[in-house]
Order: sequence, then C-alpha cells, then structure tokens
Amino acid sequence: MNEITILMHLLSKKTNNSQIGATKEEILKTLNVKGKNKSIYFLDMIKNLSNYLEPLGLQVRFNPLNSYWYISFDPETTEMISANPFEGNPRLAATLYCTMICCFNSTGETTIQKIKEIRKKKGVLEDIKELEKKGFVNLAKSMNQVRLTPLIGYVLDLEKLFLKIALKIKN
Amino acid sequence: MEVKDFSEEINNKIERIKNRVLSGEISLLDIELVPIFEDLKDSLTIYNISKYSRTYKIAFHLLSQKFEELKIFLSYLDNQEKFLQFLKGNPRDIEIYHIFEDCWREPLIIDTLSFKFLEYSKDRLVDEKKEPLKIEFINKINLKENFLLEIPERKFTDKMMAFFNNIKDKLPCSYEEIFENELDQIKIFENFVYLLHLLQLGKIKYQKETNFLYL
Repeated sequence: MNEITILMHLLSKKTNNSQIGATKEEILKTLNVKGKNKSIYFLDMIKNLSNYLEPLGLQVRFNPLNSYWYISFDPETTEMISANPFEGNPRLAATLYCTMICCFNSTGETTIQKIKEIRKKKGVLEDIKELEKKGFVNLAKSMNQVRLTPLIGYVLDLEKLFLKIALKIKN
Repeated sequence: MEVKDFSEEINNKIERIKNRVLSGEISLLDIELVPIFEDLKDSLTIYNISKYSRTYKIAFHLLSQKFEELKIFLSYLDNQEKFLQFLKGNPRDIEIYHIFEDCWREPLIIDTLSFKFLEYSKDRLVDEKKEPLKIEFINKINLKENFLLEIPERKFTDKMMAFFNNIKDKLPCSYEEIFENELDQIKIFENFVYLLHLLQLGKIKYQKETNFLYL
C-alpha cells in the first residue's frame, strides 16, 4: 500500500450522485501530509499519479464547481465507451443547456420560469425532473427553484463546450 | 476586565461554511463574510489576540477563496454571452445535442474496491512509525551474595546482532536450516531466543505456510 493506492481510492470513490473524488484538504489529511510545503507535495503527487495513469487511458481532473479532484477516462476512451448521458434524447440536452445558461447567470440557482422563457418549449418541468433523476440538478420542493449540482463539472468539459460554441457563432 | 473569546465559535462557523460549499449546497458567492470579520473586530482584546490571529488567518483564507470564485464567475460572464448568443439563433434541439458531443467525460468510479482493506491499509500507512523496541542492558552491580543467574559479559543486543549477522546471508531459508549445524542444545536455545527477538523487532520475518524465514 502506498500513496498511489490511496490516491486512486480517494479520487475514484463516489460519495453520492453528484460527488466523486476528494478535495485537496481531504487528500492531505488522509495521507497525513503536514507542513508549509504540503501544497507543493500535493501537486507533485497529482502530477506523478497523472503520469502513471496516462498509459491506461485515464486522466486526473479538477471539478471547478466543487473543487474536487477525480479521475476520468481520456477523450479517446470516453468516445469508445460512449459517455453521452443524453444518447437519443436531444430534448433533454437542450433543456440542460438552457438550465446551465440560467444558473451560470445567477451564481448557480434559477427558477423554472426563467428556464421556460429561454427554452420556449412545453414540458420544461418534466425535463427538469428527468435531469434531477440523472443527478444534474436539484429541484426545490416548491418545484420552482432549480440548482445545478457539481455533476456537470465532472461529466462535461466546459472549456471545450465554450470553445465549440464560440466557433459555431463565428461560423 | 471580562475576557471574551469567540474564536472557537467563529472557527466552527467558517468550518460549517466550508463544508456546505464543498458539498455543493451553496456557493461562496452566496455567503456574506463581512459579519465574520466584524465579530472578530468587535471582540478582539489583548487577552485573546493570540487565538484570534489564527482565526483571522482562516477567515482571510476563506475571503481569498471567495475572490477566486468571483474571478471564475466573472470569466464565465463572457461565456454566458456566447451561450445566449448561440440560443438566439433558435437552434433546434438536435443542434444543441451536437454541441455537447465530444465534450462528455466519463469519470472513473471504483466502488468494488474493498473499502475495509483500503481503510486498514491506509491506517497502517498513516500511523506514525513507532520507535523500534530497544533492549536496555542491565548494569552489573557487585553484591556479596551469589545468584544462580549471572548477567552475561556481552550485551544481549550485541549478541543478538552477532547472531543476525551470522545468519542473514542464509536467508531466506527454512526454520530448521538456521539450527542444523548447531549441536549444542544450550546454544540452540540461546539462538532461538535471539531469533524470537529478531522476529519481534521485525528484522526477520516468518511465513507460517512455508515455514520460511526471510528478511
């Protein structure tokens, strides 16, 4: 048993539907790393683990939505195993897109009404319930407030998405 | 003068905020940090300054994180415009669906690892290493009486290490091979005692299944 075994366990454990991996603080605490150089030690460990995992088609990643470190398959492997959670359901993908716009615009939370306004389609509430089942959003009991969970930061490459949209607009 | 110390209370408050942020329940941008700094300022005295400096450091760290989140949020604003601009073109659902393509990632989740084993191994790894057991040599005192048990001339540890150095090149080998050339029963018994101590100190290990000793 060494640091890599523990890191593999911490970064690949699923706590709940929208929480995978571990924070920097949790990792340092579990490995009993202390002292003023702990951040340097941490980055070294992450870098080394990443080098070990690369030939296996895995990558160490950081979810900016909840500051968790986790492991994901690299793009090529992801394509092979088809990770698209909306396979054959473009309607749900479009509703998620609108929900993301609304949530990013108001620090993570929005209302069904606002989503309906930009989605301009019927059945938004049903879609949101479906998205909640998949773990992407939390819907308040009042069925009005919607909040994005950190899951989207795990399963979606936001930077790549922004880039694709920017290119689409340019064209 | 009454000594007020709310540092523990403020620390707990900060810890609760951190936990809620880490669980994704709230964003740091939703949290007002000014009251924390006001509490610190209002209850600060020369008597609690030592504890408060630590609390201030923790609160300041939280404030720095909030600035970081604000920076990320501001950078997202521009992206937000792009998102909206794309939507203004009234794309069909299938077009949005295609935008998401190639952007999906698959996290690696290993639930099948034996958590008990990992916990046990982790505890063993993070446990602070204990000092090796030291065998103190008892000083010989001159007494008039005669005792049956005499303290040997050489220290026990020295003799044990001499035995260890003598056998270490043989290892790994079976338990019997250690004593096979020794005919003196007293010497075998003495060496056996050294072996037990070496096993206890972890200098030599024993595999029960194969009856082998190894380093």
